[in-house]
Formats: sequence, C-alpha cells, structure tokens
Amino acid sequence: MENLTIQATKYTPEISLDTFGMISLTGKSYPENTFDFYEPMMKWVREYFASSPADETVVNMEIIYFNSSSSKLFFDFFDLLDEVKDDNKISINWIYDEENESAEEAGEDFIEDFEDLDIKLVVK
Amino acid sequence: MDINEIQNIVEDDGIIFLTYGGFLSQSLIASMTEALEKEAESNDLKMTIANNIFTIFIELSQNMMNYSKSKDIDDDSIKPEGLIVVSRDDDGNYFIDSRNIISREDKDKIEPKLDEIHSLDLAGIKKRYKELRRSGKNTHGKGGGIGFYEIAKRCNKLEYDFKEINENKFYFHIKTFLLEKKEQK
Repeated sequence: MENLTIQATKYTPEISLDTFGMISLTGKSYPENTFDFYEPMMKWVREYFASSPADETVVNMEIIYFNSSSSKLFFDFFDLLDEVKDDNKISINWIYDEENESAEEAGEDFIEDFEDLDIKLVVK
Repeated sequence: MDINEIQNIVEDDGIIFLTYGGFLSQSLIASMTEALEKEAESNDLKMTIANNIFTIFIELSQNMMNYSKSKDIDDDSIKPEGLIVVSRDDDGNYFIDSRNIISREDKDKIEPKLDEIHSLDLAGIKKRYKELRRSGKNTHGKGGGIGFYEIAKRCNKLEYDFKEINENKFYFHIKTFLLEKKEQK
C-alpha cells in the first residue's frame, strides 16, 4: 500500500496518509462536494486497516474551521475508526488553537459521541 | 443603479464587511471567505467570533449555491445566485444576511427545520445537531442536513422569512446575529 498526500487548497485541508501509521488533516474544510472530496481518504483508511496497519496508528486532526457537511464527514471517519478500534491501537489528537473555542467544542462533541475512542484535545 | 445610494446604505447601516449579489461559485465563496479573514484580522476579531462568522457565511453561501442548483432545473429563474451581506454595527455586533429564491419543495424542507430551531434553546440546538449528525437522516443534496443547526449553534439569534413570489417560488431571507455580549449559555 502506498502513502497518499493531498495538498491543501483555500477550502480543503492538507491530508497526509502514511502506512507507518500516521493520518493527518491540517487546514480548513469546506469543499463543494465534501463526500466526493474525502472519498480517496476514506478509501485509503479502509484499505489500510484491512491490509497491514501499523502497530499503532496516530490520527492528527487540526481543522481551523469547517462546514456542516465536513462535520458529518468527520463523524463518519471517527465511526470508521470506531469499527476497527478493537483490533488496532489508535490514538487521535484533536488539535486546536487556544483561542479557537468552536474548534475545542467540536472536539469535545466528538469525544462525547465516541467514548470508546482515544481522542485527546491538544492545545497548540 | 445609483452607486451613491449604495454608499448611503453602507454608511447608514454600519460597517459592511462584505456584500455580494449575484452568481455564486465555490471559488468565489473561497475568495470571499479569504477577504473576510483579512477583515477579521485587521479588526483584531477574537478567533472564536471570526470563525463563527466564516462558518455561518460559508454555510449560507453554500446553501444558496446548492438549493439553487438542486431543483427546478428547467426553471432557469432559480439560479445559484442571491444576496449575502456581512455587517457590523457600532456596538461591535455582527450580522450575516442572505436572500435568494428557492422552490416550494425546498421551502417545505427548510421551514420545519428553522421552526424547530426557533423553538429550542442553545442546549437543545446542540443536542439536535448531534442527534441528526449521528443518524445521518435528513441528509439531502450536498449538505449533511445539519447546516441550519450548525448556523444556529454559532449565532445568538436568527430570523427568517419566506416571501411568496408565485405558487412555486419564494424569496428566502435569513438573518443571523452575533452579539458582542453573548447571552448566557
């Protein structure tokens, strides 16, 4: 399986998917077609966990702001991680600026929704 | 059109950050969001309020783009265009208005959601947002069906109305208030 990197645009984050066990999303997220945009990432993540995932997978999400369909997509992404968590060690860092209250709240919401996932709030 | 009249409106109604009336595309929305970021930066806006403005702006403008596209393809009077205004008054309150033409079918989808939001407090809105995001129901078109709840979470108040143009078409106006003194959550 190969690594996959998608460069950031004005309205989509940089996505970096590394078979050594690193998944990173950094930037803003308000694509016109959110589900189409993230499909290559979701496909990669599904294949990664189905083939030979690393002993530990670290997910770093640093999203400054995002539209509601991205919020739904991130939920689906966490749902996918939730499905494979019993067979894999996954740690998720939800990274935000100290002053960015809405990003902090979004992270808290995901922690509440996925209490069996290891999601940490990380202040930059 | 008299450009002086527009200038008067801008002066009377406080500082207008951004106003646009016309055809919307994703790249234009991104450029306007970038312009809003610059304005927010030069006005030393707090990051939280700035991000709430960007999110509401994006949500409303992408809605306008998508609702106009979604239905009545044969009816070319429903185009991906409308009016969107981001403004600020002297007390530092922010307002984001949007108005566009929608079909009756979309009105019938939007109105119950807005009526529900109107009946809830902030805690209730946040609860519904999470329920709807989890269930994935009411997803339609390109959004997740939670756009108005996202907007409602991020402002202090919203007002809306539908003005009938004819049997199948309505002006849809929504106004969001981001107030300097946040009400107690």
